[in-house]
Amino acid sequence: MTKGNKKHNHEPQNIEVWEDLVHIKDLGLALLICGAGALGGYFLAPNNASEPLFYGLAGAVLGFIISSFIIKPKRTFEEIREEDQ
Amino acid sequence: MDISLILQMVLVAGIASVLYTLIGVAPGTDETAVLAPVTLVLVLAGFEPVIILTFFMAAIVAKKLTDSIPVAVAGIPGGVMSAPMVEHALVLKKHGLADTSIRKMASGSVIGTIVSIPISFALANVLSEFSEVIKEYTDPIFFFGAIFLALMTKNKWLALVSILPLALLIQGLRHLYWGVGIVPEDTTVFISFFLGITIGPVILTLFELLNGDLRSKLTRHDTKKISFKISKKIKGFPNPFRILTKNETVSSFFSSILGVGTFFLSPVGMTIMIGEVVASKIKDPVKKAARAISSMDALTNAAYISGTLIPLIALGIPLSPTAIGPGHALFNAPPVFTQDHNLHHILSMSEFFWATIIGAGIAILITYFVTVKYAVQICRFVFKRIPHEAMLGLFFGLVLLLAYMDAGWLNVAGVLLIGLVAGVLNRLGVNYGVQFMTLYAAPFIVNTLF
Repeated sequence: MTKGNKKHNHEPQNIEVWEDLVHIKDLGLALLICGAGALGGYFLAPNNASEPLFYGLAGAVLGFIISSFIIKPKRTFEEIREEDQ
Repeated sequence: MDISLILQMVLVAGIASVLYTLIGVAPGTDETAVLAPVTLVLVLAGFEPVIILTFFMAAIVAKKLTDSIPVAVAGIPGGVMSAPMVEHALVLKKHGLADTSIRKMASGSVIGTIVSIPISFALANVLSEFSEVIKEYTDPIFFFGAIFLALMTKNKWLALVSILPLALLIQGLRHLYWGVGIVPEDTTVFISFFLGITIGPVILTLFELLNGDLRSKLTRHDTKKISFKISKKIKGFPNPFRILTKNETVSSFFSSILGVGTFFLSPVGMTIMIGEVVASKIKDPVKKAARAISSMDALTNAAYISGTLIPLIALGIPLSPTAIGPGHALFNAPPVFTQDHNLHHILSMSEFFWATIIGAGIAILITYFVTVKYAVQICRFVFKRIPHEAMLGLFFGLVLLLAYMDAGWLNVAGVLLIGLVAGVLNRLGVNYGVQFMTLYAAPFIVNTLF
């Protein structure tokens, strides 16, 4: 296996999970970041009423945002402009 | 109701609409996963009950309006409820009609919302007369619901046979937790099991990835090519009755009524059924798909709204999959809401009415407009910026969090186990509807039948 997130242009490396393509290592990374965010938020939160839940959610969302920045979507988006009716 | 309260309702409806317009677009967002925790937080934070209901109504309408977008553009379900529509949406996508697909689905949603609100109130009024009797039969209703849905699927025998083992697994874990003492005897672990079933197919795939032989055998792809035809812009405020053909409007209308009438059954199961019924007689593949998706979206919306409103208004117990899943916190969120003191007991009929009208109305105004007008822009943003890995990660994080909150570390393994079994059943052909109904019926199946 080559190192981490090297460009994988030469050979197709993406697999399909739940109707869309992912790269296995990127998926592992995202699961790790979001999982750690959710539980990290939960455990760091002040321990009263709904705050642990709220911090946990916020942690998961933060993990999501971080993952979105460091992982590139495996899609190419092509737009065809249609002039006729 | 004073002016400041109404203004607050309008404000939260607006916030919910914007928030769930964005969440709805993200592929694979499960309704329960995105609605239940947030509603729970609002309840526990001590917001006014009428404000919470307004928020919830706006959130479901907005979420159901936008979750059609990823289905139409990439064939990725925007939520569990839109999963059955994938097949038909892919037909339209293949013909380069992804944007038509979005507009048809969103318009179906609007019809579902408009039709279901008055009928839900009427049906709730009728049912409240019989509420005492119905409450007694809640459990058998879920049990027969599971059997009914199993009989509706393609693989009847498979679905029927799988009900019992799945129920045993669910109750087995609950009794284990009580026995070990990590959950008090009067608490039933629910939400995390529900999420375990939902994420089942992903859990199964993740386990497979850990096996080197299976991993190397998986088909490898390059990137996913999504081509998107942009047709003429719609001028002015979009009108659902002009976007849908007469036939589509009529079948959406009747699908909505059916959705309200079967509020106690799994909306996913009913959606699959109506899709098959509506599409079966049409030959032309494009017309067939357009009719199917508009009717299916109308039904899911109607089922969600009625599934929330009818049990809330008439019974006060979560006697529908929507109520027990995404709307769980409206019925039961101790210490604020309990079985004997929840929205059913707190809100008056006029408060129910205004919360629904303001919530649904504002969500339609904001989200329908945005969905129909800016579907292309929204898609472009989501597909270029949001990796599927992050979506799966977020969902996984939520499941982990709620699993831990329900019953600690042991339950994380418990949810993995449920996900694994549910994933296998799913791949074999037992749909979510049967599995969810079994989850609700599990205590009855194990404790009463044996």
